[in-house]
Amino acid sequence: MIFAKVIGTIVSTQKDENLKGKKLLLCKEVTHDGKPLNTYHVAVDAVQAGEGNFVLLTYGSSSRMTEVTKDAPIDAVVSAIIDDVEIEESFK
Amino acid sequence: MKVGRVIGVVWASKKVKELNGCRLSVVQPISTNGANVGNPLVVADPHSIGAVGNKIIYVTSTDAAQAFDTGVAPVNASVVQLVDEIA
Repeated sequence: MIFAKVIGTIVSTQKDENLKGKKLLLCKEVTHDGKPLNTYHVAVDAVQAGEGNFVLLTYGSSSRMTEVTKDAPIDAVVSAIIDDVEIEESFK
Repeated sequence: MKVGRVIGVVWASKKVKELNGCRLSVVQPISTNGANVGNPLVVADPHSIGAVGNKIIYVTSTDAAQAFDTGVAPVNASVVQLVDEIA
């Protein structure tokens, strides 16, 4: 899983049958301390995340392993909203 | 499977129900001699194997879900073993 920040939502009317009712979020990958990286992902929202949230993003076929995303044609899912990341002082 | 060191924890109160009760650790991949390799990643630890500072073995990709009792979880990596020593 990787850290990401939700920077927007994606609205589409014409979509695959299995994507209906799913919110799509535009996420920018960040480091554990919140520094933005140059990678974007469109992810299905499984935890009612919103713009500005610091989230955990699961990618690849593993992203289909939630109740919300089962059998859906997706490769990224927002699986948690992160409250805090605690890194041990000696490993910083 | 790969070797890493647990360097921190992720606190998330709102998560998908498949991840409820599962510890989420920040893991720095390391080489066999202990040097850091690449960037830290988030690894699920369903059986709370690795505390902060521990050397662990983690499994990646779809197989990571097998570390959960249910076999179903949206994770890219899971802790499966605690390393005592690399001989």
